[in-house]
Amino acid sequence: MALKTTDWVFIGLAMAAGALCLATGGWSAVVSALGAAGGLLWIVLPQLVAGLLIGGMIQELVDRDRVTRLLGAQSGMKGLGLAAVAGALTPGGPFTSFPIVYALWTAGADAGALVAYVAAWSTIGIHRLIVWELPFMGADLAVLRYAVSLPLPIIAGLAARWLVRVTRLRVQEATDS
Amino acid sequence: MTAVIIGIWVALAALTSAVHARKGRPGVEAGAGFAWRTAKSLSVRLPFALLTAAFLAEALPVERLASIVGPETGLLGIVVSAGLGGLLPGGPMTSFPIALVIFQGGAGAPQIVAFITGWSIFAMHRVIAYEAPIMGWSFVALRMLSCSLLPILAGLLAWAVIALLPGFNPAPLPIPI
Repeated sequence: MALKTTDWVFIGLAMAAGALCLATGGWSAVVSALGAAGGLLWIVLPQLVAGLLIGGMIQELVDRDRVTRLLGAQSGMKGLGLAAVAGALTPGGPFTSFPIVYALWTAGADAGALVAYVAAWSTIGIHRLIVWELPFMGADLAVLRYAVSLPLPIIAGLAARWLVRVTRLRVQEATDS
Repeated sequence: MTAVIIGIWVALAALTSAVHARKGRPGVEAGAGFAWRTAKSLSVRLPFALLTAAFLAEALPVERLASIVGPETGLLGIVVSAGLGGLLPGGPMTSFPIALVIFQGGAGAPQIVAFITGWSIFAMHRVIAYEAPIMGWSFVALRMLSCSLLPILAGLLAWAVIALLPGFNPAPLPIPI
């Protein structure tokens, strides 16, 4: 498998951090860090695999075109709520979510719904909760953070609508700005 | 923790049978293919990301950071953690191990909630690589402003939840990082 640029960035980061670790703590610190990283990988791997598969299955269950049409036509609180649910269910990284934001905008979703969608994807995304947060942070902290974040996308969406009313900030074509 | 792992695999089984019921075997294969492609792209990055976090944990004075964002630092600690989280570059595979290290170093749960939320909302690499090129800087500004107070709000809500639920005090995973 050919390594991509991003892979080399991570390898370079690890080597720089390793050099720093060697300089400050000597070989014993390097060995203990290797053990810690290995132990962590071993613990999170099974949950990570399950999380990735869950993301794949959600991808198959959600009809993107229908969601886009539905959201584009909605406004008011219902629009914000639907956008938040859609954002929370969107699996994958920013390479999946931002193209969807663009599609929602061209389908007629307002600034509030777009911001609520991004806020939901980033703060209450189920995929990230399952793949990353539960394995690394433990159930107590992950569930606490998730629960207190549930109202945040709606607040962000309302703030965005208010900002559009009182400032000159608008959503506009990326090529225009 | 075991209950969470079982729950995740049960959820995966339920989702897989839902996909199978609707789209049959090809749907399940497509979902698994999505997971496989993501796993392949993570296979090099994740081990090196974990190593980076483990090396940094050995090399940097995490104990001193913990005194700035410890459980007794209150609102100021929450604001500082939200800002630190926002400055954190990189995706979930580096951010969650780093959050775990700071949590293990003695940070308070509300402060960690603010840290993770700050990272998930502001993640600069994501803005530069995906959000700005696709949605334009005007949208970026509108979204950032709308979401600017959310990490602090999440930290305060987590603080209130912990205060209201006696005996509930999330602790970090006991991994020797």
